[in-house]
Amino acid sequence: MTISACSRSAARGDIELSSCPDILTILDSNWEAGVAIDLKAVEQLATDQSSLKAAAGLAKPAKWSGVGSSPDGALIWGECAGSGANPYRVMADLRDLGNKCTCPSRKFPCKHVLGLLWLNAEAIVPFAPADTPAWVSDWLGRRRGTSAAKPASTAAPAGEKDVRAARAVEPEVVEDPKDAARREAQSAKRNEETERAILDALDALEQWIGDQLRMGLSGFIDDATARCRRIAARLVDGKAAVLAGRIDELPSRLLALAAGDRPSGAVVELGKLVLLARAFRATPRDAEIRRVVATTETRETVLADPQALRVNAQWEVLAEQVQTRRDGLVSQTTWLLNLAASGPRFAMLLDFFPASAGRRGSVFAPGERFQGELVFYPSQQPLRALLVRRDAAEAMLNSEWPAPDMALGEALTRPLLAEPWIVEIPLLLPRGRIARDDSGGTWWRAADGTATLPVAGNAEGLLAGTELMRTAAIWSGNRLAILAAQSPWGRIGGHD
Amino acid sequence: MTETADAEAIFEAMGAVVTRWTMGSTAAPVASFWRTELGDDPVEAELRLLALSGQFLGAIVTAEPPPVLRVLPDIPTLGLPTVHEALRPLVRRILATSKDGASRTEFIHFLVARGWTTHPADWIPDASDEDAPDIYAAWRDWSASAASGETTRRQAGDQLTAENWEDFWPAARKAALIMLRQRDPSAARALLEAKLGSESADARLRLLSLLSERLSGDDVAFLEGLAANDRAPKVKALATSMLARLGHGPAAGEDIAELAGYFSVKTKGLLRRSRVVQIESPKTPAQWQRRKALLDGTDLMSFSGALGLGPQDLIDAWDWNVDPAADTGLIKLIVETGTDAQLAQAAGIVSEHDATGLIVALAPRLTPADRARFASARLRAHGIGFDMARVIAGAAARLDDLLSAPAGAKLLAELRRDDAKPSDHVAEFQALGLLASRTAAQQTLQRLTAAGLLQGDPRLDMLRLNAALDDNGEKP
Repeated sequence: MTISACSRSAARGDIELSSCPDILTILDSNWEAGVAIDLKAVEQLATDQSSLKAAAGLAKPAKWSGVGSSPDGALIWGECAGSGANPYRVMADLRDLGNKCTCPSRKFPCKHVLGLLWLNAEAIVPFAPADTPAWVSDWLGRRRGTSAAKPASTAAPAGEKDVRAARAVEPEVVEDPKDAARREAQSAKRNEETERAILDALDALEQWIGDQLRMGLSGFIDDATARCRRIAARLVDGKAAVLAGRIDELPSRLLALAAGDRPSGAVVELGKLVLLARAFRATPRDAEIRRVVATTETRETVLADPQALRVNAQWEVLAEQVQTRRDGLVSQTTWLLNLAASGPRFAMLLDFFPASAGRRGSVFAPGERFQGELVFYPSQQPLRALLVRRDAAEAMLNSEWPAPDMALGEALTRPLLAEPWIVEIPLLLPRGRIARDDSGGTWWRAADGTATLPVAGNAEGLLAGTELMRTAAIWSGNRLAILAAQSPWGRIGGHD
Repeated sequence: MTETADAEAIFEAMGAVVTRWTMGSTAAPVASFWRTELGDDPVEAELRLLALSGQFLGAIVTAEPPPVLRVLPDIPTLGLPTVHEALRPLVRRILATSKDGASRTEFIHFLVARGWTTHPADWIPDASDEDAPDIYAAWRDWSASAASGETTRRQAGDQLTAENWEDFWPAARKAALIMLRQRDPSAARALLEAKLGSESADARLRLLSLLSERLSGDDVAFLEGLAANDRAPKVKALATSMLARLGHGPAAGEDIAELAGYFSVKTKGLLRRSRVVQIESPKTPAQWQRRKALLDGTDLMSFSGALGLGPQDLIDAWDWNVDPAADTGLIKLIVETGTDAQLAQAAGIVSEHDATGLIVALAPRLTPADRARFASARLRAHGIGFDMARVIAGAAARLDDLLSAPAGAKLLAELRRDDAKPSDHVAEFQALGLLASRTAAQQTLQRLTAAGLLQGDPRLDMLRLNAALDDNGEKP
């Protein structure tokens, strides 16, 4: 087995390094010389030249935050801005080059791991000795199962790789103006075709909604999963993939309601779809509406948009929601609370990855606070955002959440004026408390008695046994899902 | 919208609209107030009505709370502080990796022994968690009140009387009774005499076991009453066992004579002055079973009497390590029916032998100081592992210099092996963390990291917590 194949297999946990004397020699000599890793090892670890090339692009300080190492230098870690809203958490054990990244890449090691090793090998950023973060320890704990000896991989090593070539900057190709014009014309034609396809799909959707009313909502509720799947498939064909995902999830939202509430729940859900279809027809080029029907702008587009709102503030991680959807994607939503006096109160970092990519590590720990810059997707009500920069953690003295920005009644309805089709509204609730009814239902009740809202789930334990000074929750039109709360006992997570 | 339409009218009409759609009928005819907005095309009117109704129901209508809502009382603060915020993530990880209830209970007891409790967002005992330390009684009762839906706070504290017995939740009552027994044993017994009869069999058993503390001759009459008259066999057995500890075993019957037949008392030594209990090994499996049954059914006083010895003489003269089953039977008798002095005597003798299992059996009745002493001795002289030492030592041990014991040297040697795996020795590391004093935990961490373990290695979580946790507990 070659050194590079050996190192790859070892890093993956497929083999014991003791069976690879070649790479062990390199690692041992590095280690004894006090050098954690050199670029040669990065080169050998890479699966192919393109990984190495991508890693070279990531070996820049601006791409990284929270870089650190264990005091003995054996473990290194960092957070790398990827293509998603959440950064990727990257970690490596320099003793055996074991590594882990939270990105969904199928390459192993991915470019982020190689980038981190590269940063370390060339000391591009200082790896300050620090306490091992919990997420690195968690990974170490999970490595237990994979370190048992397994047959060595027999995969042939990829072609030759060269760090110098990866570093080389390719000259910019000067484009022929005629080609550019042709490509623009093609792009415009494609956009038009897409728009036509979406409009056709929305016609089909309205037709389908009308059919559900004619056939009776009672039958729709009973057969919602199959019926929604069929129209969702039609919408996917019609390039309205985001809307298709929403309709695929409609039955589960409906079934979460009490049986008696489902007919009116179906009216609300289907009514919102009609509104959304009409809004798209009125302004098919509106990025905000397109985002909830067809596609979302890329990270690069949002970052390049001078109109996009950028907010540099202190943020608290309220919760992370990971949900496997019916369309085979896993959605990872991180809810952030802006601790500043003004500005958008909430931010939502939303990423999708295929369920087949396996379990993905959490990016943030609930309750964690950080100073950072977010860029919001352009919207009348900025909520979905991307993390641009996260500064090194510092002591956050102010532990109090800000007061709600508006009265509760207004907070519940105002977002619907701008986007009547939205399903979830994040809320910061005033002082209140959990109460129970005789049938075991859970309610949040304002301390001043002016509002009482039903709560999803049971809200057990401490959440139900103390005053809630502030509560962050998601209102879905009929239930509150509590994300976190502040209490005399400190912060309480919604699932604590 | 038609001028006269208001929210109330729309709300009233919504019932009919939703009902019609549920049945598959058109609904526009019953929404006349939106006639203008809906237009003349019947298909389009239904869709427009759907959009308007959906928005009305989603934005204006929220579920009406029932007239009666119950708010649970505040979770009370406990007698010990909760662990510092900075250590809570570590506590949560240890709780999450405690795979079974027993290891979680050990960890909770460890925290209490060091003067701390968990944060209620991290762990609250269930109402039925009898293994939870008594300091958590108020939280157990809160859990009970949450489960029962009762919202009024009940009595707490140590002023338990027959009159206010019912005002206490069970865990608080138990905690109050323990305090009363320590302060005034007779008053505690008198209270049980008055109230025990009205409790369930399980509760009677739990409450009666509290009399083990400061058990004395004053309790004999009460225990005899229970041994003779209680409805539950387990309560009777416990009362009988307690009586035996006080030297009031049941009258010797035929069974005890049969049991004595399996043993004989011989003299030994030059002057034939010292005695030894010689064990006549049973010859058939049926005889083994019979001897075990006879040992299970007697008490130390009766057994020693049947051999013509006092209990202390029997323990002294026993021929240990010849017949493990007989050793186990005698130790069981001592644990269940022996006095504290007899127990200490047996522990002293057994600790001289290579009989860790017997020490483990005796441990629950030993004082925390004795448990720590025996654990330390067996670690150093008999080469037991840390996990076994933890079972002997209990939660309150604070042992020093653990890695210099044979188990420590073995652990260090195994960590250096080429085929060492990151999943090795998880239980040993956990036990190390529970056994060590704070200073020893800090030193052990240094030595283990010097031996090549990563500081962030999750196997070191318990040691790291111990090293970081101020030791404010009572020292044994």
